[in-house]
Amino acid sequence: MKPDGKMNIADENLIRLNGIAKHYEMGSTLVRALDGISVEIQRGDWVSFIGSSGSGKSTFLNILGCLDRPTRGEYFLNGVYVEELGPNQLAEIRNREIGFIFQSFNLLPRATALGNVMQPLVYRRIGYRRRREMAREALDRVGLGDRVDHLPNQLSGGQRQRVAIARGLVTQPSILLADEPTGNLDSRTSADIMQLFDQLHSEGQTLILVTHEEDVAGLGDRVIELLDGKIIRDRRAGEPLH
Amino acid sequence: MFYVILESTRSALISILAHGLRSFLTTLGIVIGVASVIAVISLTQGMSAFIGESFSSLGSNSLTIQSHTPISEAMRGGRARLTPEDLELIERRAEGVASITPILYASRSSQVRYAAQTTFSQIMGTTYAYRDVAQAWVQTGRFIAESDNLTRRRVTVIGKKVREDLGLPENPVNEYVELGGEWFKIIGLLEAKGDVMGFDQDDIVLVPYSTMRSLAGNQSQIDIQIQLSLSEGVEVDDVTRQLTALLRNAHDLAPDEDDDFRINTAEQLMETFDTIINMVTLVIGGIVSISLLVGGIGIMNIMLVSVTERTREIGICKAIGAKRHHILAQFLIEAMLLSLLGGLIGLGLGYGLGTAISSSIDSFPPASIPIWAIALALGFSGFVGVLFGILPAAKAANLDPIDALRYE
Ligand SMILES: Nc1ncnc2c1ncn2[C@@H]1O[C@H](COP(=O)(O)OP(=O)(O)OP(=O)(O)O)[C@@H](O)[C@H]1O
Ligand SMILES: [Mg+2]
Repeated sequence: MKPDGKMNIADENLIRLNGIAKHYEMGSTLVRALDGISVEIQRGDWVSFIGSSGSGKSTFLNILGCLDRPTRGEYFLNGVYVEELGPNQLAEIRNREIGFIFQSFNLLPRATALGNVMQPLVYRRIGYRRRREMAREALDRVGLGDRVDHLPNQLSGGQRQRVAIARGLVTQPSILLADEPTGNLDSRTSADIMQLFDQLHSEGQTLILVTHEEDVAGLGDRVIELLDGKIIRDRRAGEPLH
Repeated sequence: MFYVILESTRSALISILAHGLRSFLTTLGIVIGVASVIAVISLTQGMSAFIGESFSSLGSNSLTIQSHTPISEAMRGGRARLTPEDLELIERRAEGVASITPILYASRSSQVRYAAQTTFSQIMGTTYAYRDVAQAWVQTGRFIAESDNLTRRRVTVIGKKVREDLGLPENPVNEYVELGGEWFKIIGLLEAKGDVMGFDQDDIVLVPYSTMRSLAGNQSQIDIQIQLSLSEGVEVDDVTRQLTALLRNAHDLAPDEDDDFRINTAEQLMETFDTIINMVTLVIGGIVSISLLVGGIGIMNIMLVSVTERTREIGICKAIGAKRHHILAQFLIEAMLLSLLGGLIGLGLGYGLGTAISSSIDSFPPASIPIWAIALALGFSGFVGVLFGILPAAKAANLDPIDALRYE
């Protein structure tokens, strides 16, 4: 349950996608990065999207995160029809509903770990002190409470990923989206990060992960496989692959 | 709104400080522009304040009447004069005059000698009324008295500069100096007045008017100056009109003839100087504001570069919820702060420059900056920042989040 009571009863699905397509025109050829994706995701689920490189995972996640707009199709987030929203309303949704963890961390290079985690709260008109408190809490949660004053380039990859996760968590979003959260990390650090996700999931956080690693995907409740912009398999975790 | 400004200012300051040298170079155009404006204004304003003071020390409500030969008259070999009769006429007939005094300038050599020292000075024959008209007070001794004039005494009151030049004692009263071959006893030393527009007011020698006339010998055609001060509450223009009518009548001038005299007021002179100074300020200010504009373009240029450099950062901010106005405010405020910072540095530099110039030139009045110039400089540089910040800021705000994030 979200503390700000933003639950929408009208739609039991947190996310509902209907025939989502994203096409890129490259000269005379048409690249179908996404080609008719329909999927529903419930609150509290941990869903992993898996697929080979170029199958459209990042494109899909960007649309889910309201960063990109689909060429075609319908997207309902929390019962809101996203396609109708203007840029500022989308920014509002990104701020309130979504925590985005990027493939390449995407931290602000000149802000400290704490500054990075505080940044999304700036757009919520939260005062400096409160922001600091909230950011510290989030950093504590990801186990980085002792590195708050370090700049991103003074942190290891795993630590940067934790900062990015803390930044995603600090706004208490409806969904946490992560694009290849372990893509840039060694297996040991990956395990730590995945354990963190597991913990968040057990606390009720809705999680959507994109990965190309089978064992990472297998940690979720549900694994959806993409190929050439289409869903080719949708199964509960633990079900046999073949 | 306030919250957005506060947060934007915070991050703008961080970014300006992060690129210290670049920020400084960017703002250099503004620094130089504002510094030169302020230097010029501080000098001219110091000058005009000083001129104002000097003129009030001259006696601000005093008038000077001088003969003036119109060109047409000069061509015919004529020469206009102001005579003792004119003085008498004015004394008798003019209204609103508090005190009036003739001044007879030495026509020939104005050599002054004391012991082996000689100097050249302005020797003036005048009366006790000069003291009130010209606000000339004695520091030691006494001023020329009415009786000095009646008995044509050979006495003199000297200025500070003359005393120094002649090596006279600190208290020169009762010493004798030689003026035009005659010995005069010093009866008073004037208070120092400094100089006005290069005329040293302390370089004067006053003798009784009648003594001066008698020394001029049988030269009957003398030309005097008349200086008078006005009574309280009398309009300078009224008196000027009245005097003009009196003198024109006395000099038998036909209506189509020009005046053969000039009436000068201290105020008039002051206004003339003020006008000149304001013109200079305006012209130089105009030229220099062009350099501010150039400075603004420099800021725009660097801000555009900075937007490009920070495209990814902008994308990140948008991805985590920044709206258009957040990004707009951040870059706009950064441009404005840069420009304002330049304005502030320029203000200090300009004032320092003005002070340095004014103190390095002897007898130049001290520099002073009026509040309006400070407000103008800061207001203008802030405005330049906003004006030239709009384009880069709008460019940043309009970036599409996904494109910005993909930017390499
Ligand atoms: N901006 C774009 N312009 C043109 N084509 C694009 C663009 N973005 C993505 N694509 C194409 O869309 C397809 C899907 O790309 P996407 O980045 O979603 O793949 P991905 O599954 O995330 O791959 P990876 O595992 O390598 O990250 C690719 O074929 C890519 O070339
Ligand atoms: Mg990808």
